[in-house]
Amino acid sequence: MGDSVKTERKGDIKTDGLMEAYFEKPKRLTTWSGFPVKDIYTPADLEGIDYKRDLANAGEYPYTRGIHSNMYRGRYWTIREGSGYARAADTNKRLKFLASQGVGGFSIFRDLPTVWGIDADHPMAEGEVGVSGVNLTSLKDMEELLDGISLDRVSVALLCASCLAPVVFSQYITVAEKRGIDIAKLRGTIANDPLHSRYCYGKPSNPIDLSIKLAVDIIEFCTKNMPLWNTNSVNAYDMRETGLNAPEEIAFGFGIAMEYINKAMERGLDVDDFASRISFYFSAGIDFFEEIAKLRAARRLWAKIMKEKFNAKKPNSWKFRFGVHTAGSSLVQNQPLNNIIRISIEALVAVLGGVQSLHCCSYDEPIALPSEESQRIAVRTQQILAYETGVSNTVDPLGGSYFVESLTNTIEERAIEFIDEIDKMGGMAEAMRREWIDEKIDEAAFQLQKEIDDKERLVVGVNTLSTKEEDESPGGIHSIPPETEQKQIANVKRLKETRDADKVKLAIMNLKEKAKMGEKETLIPYIMEALKTYATIGEIQGTIREVYGLSYDPFNMLKSPY
Amino acid sequence: MKKKKRILLAKPGLDAHDMGMKLIARALKDAGAEVVYGGIYVTPDEITKIALEEDVDVLGLSFHSSTHLVVVPKIMKLLKEKGGDDLMVVVGGCIPLEDVLELKNMGVTDVFPSGSSLDDIVDLIIQ
Repeated sequence: MGDSVKTERKGDIKTDGLMEAYFEKPKRLTTWSGFPVKDIYTPADLEGIDYKRDLANAGEYPYTRGIHSNMYRGRYWTIREGSGYARAADTNKRLKFLASQGVGGFSIFRDLPTVWGIDADHPMAEGEVGVSGVNLTSLKDMEELLDGISLDRVSVALLCASCLAPVVFSQYITVAEKRGIDIAKLRGTIANDPLHSRYCYGKPSNPIDLSIKLAVDIIEFCTKNMPLWNTNSVNAYDMRETGLNAPEEIAFGFGIAMEYINKAMERGLDVDDFASRISFYFSAGIDFFEEIAKLRAARRLWAKIMKEKFNAKKPNSWKFRFGVHTAGSSLVQNQPLNNIIRISIEALVAVLGGVQSLHCCSYDEPIALPSEESQRIAVRTQQILAYETGVSNTVDPLGGSYFVESLTNTIEERAIEFIDEIDKMGGMAEAMRREWIDEKIDEAAFQLQKEIDDKERLVVGVNTLSTKEEDESPGGIHSIPPETEQKQIANVKRLKETRDADKVKLAIMNLKEKAKMGEKETLIPYIMEALKTYATIGEIQGTIREVYGLSYDPFNMLKSPY
Repeated sequence: MKKKKRILLAKPGLDAHDMGMKLIARALKDAGAEVVYGGIYVTPDEITKIALEEDVDVLGLSFHSSTHLVVVPKIMKLLKEKGGDDLMVVVGGCIPLEDVLELKNMGVTDVFPSGSSLDDIVDLIIQ
């Protein structure tokens, strides 16, 4: 072995690492979800695929290649950027800033007290008011939030999915109505997926039966009154973020959507009257090809489910329309600027996967609330994709790729197996009652962490190449204005003292009566009436909860004053 | 034989991101510690009460929604009042690096922001 002759000289740098890096090769030859990947894919991997039956041109069933015939040549995806922090007036300023940066729509995040349906002055809200979103205790907050924004000329996604969705949705349309805008002309989305919220925002405030009842109330109300509004954005994203894999994301998201559809049909709605307004909220993770395949597989599978299982007749009912949020769980606190790269790749995944609306994470999200600067980069990421890369010039550019088509099939097959398993249990609500979903989530998270600990999966800045010396966050951190909570609590207390208490009581009593009618009555109009008297989210939610045999307060600390 | 370490893990407030805490609970059990799992949505009063009743050596608090600077001092004060000031308090989760020193000044022994290694956490707590 000639090269073992000692040639190293005093003062030479250590070269072992260099040679190791030179010969380094991938260790993990599976997809993120664990599907084995072959060294090469060939025409043999396309065997059995029938172009017309399984792929078809975009705009044609089963929509594997896209839901519109010309996709982004007709219109780019909606460049949406979310915001929500502190008090309504603060978020209002940020929305106006984002509008000045060329976004095509807003997403509004609410804080945790709002998503739980407790007022800012609730004892459990301490430290949380306006922190991870805007606080919307009463209609006053929504009025301030939307000040100066023309509601008939903007598309707004209200990201409140929990049992409080009907209240936040009603706040929005009540503001529009008060301004004299015809609500039939409003364009936007209410997240409206309380079933998923059990896993992300707390079980006490999202009991299964009440969740389904309220979700269907919104579907019914919009079907009759708001044809342009997206009634649900079924949230597979949050489930995925817990560590579930790509086929589970599809299966659990679809399982939840099917619960709502079944219940809406039981109420007597025609599936073709509402299915086209149900959309999805999916993740775009870091495994480039698998994630693109996932979005294509989801599109094909949803079309089949709607056509074959629910017997929908209109093509619009078959279309899987979805928004993407790049995977927050893929972001790393160490060397946070690296996240810009991760987010760009994930945004590209979404576009190549045929997304309708895209929200890019901000690179500083693992650290704090996004700053203006980091949000601008998130918007620019999409604009660079749209204007500079050329990826949107043709439809489904990866269609026909041996690898991508093979992976699309694999993911669809696995997702179908999960859906069958859920069906056998009696549907998603039943799988939730049995805590089968909880087990899956825990299992996935443990497995993922184990693979990271064992360095089977490498994550830059986590288990390799991390820098130890950082003691502050590059780019700084964005904090909410001090006194936010105190000011908001003072406002809420003042509101409760100054509003017309008799009117509030009357509206709350009426809401209670209507809630007793169960599936026979959608509660939206009565929630709106209560909001107009400045009844708060806690009072409205509490009143409905009591009718359903639950404690007025999800934390059982407060008693109903009514 | 050395007494097994007892650790209470809890997550105060409204946030539900409990996966990190579950993973740590499992790692600590694997390392031979006794874990009292306090769960999510617990108040500072409840946490203090459980910590003292269960006679734990270490209190591990998890945060995700930026409430650590409000909640930690509250818990430290309660512990002091109720005679639990010998407890070792460790904080983890979504914590900006800028806040680490402030938390340590409040009496927190160590802080593990997201991305910390399970081994480091277990080592500190078990020692």
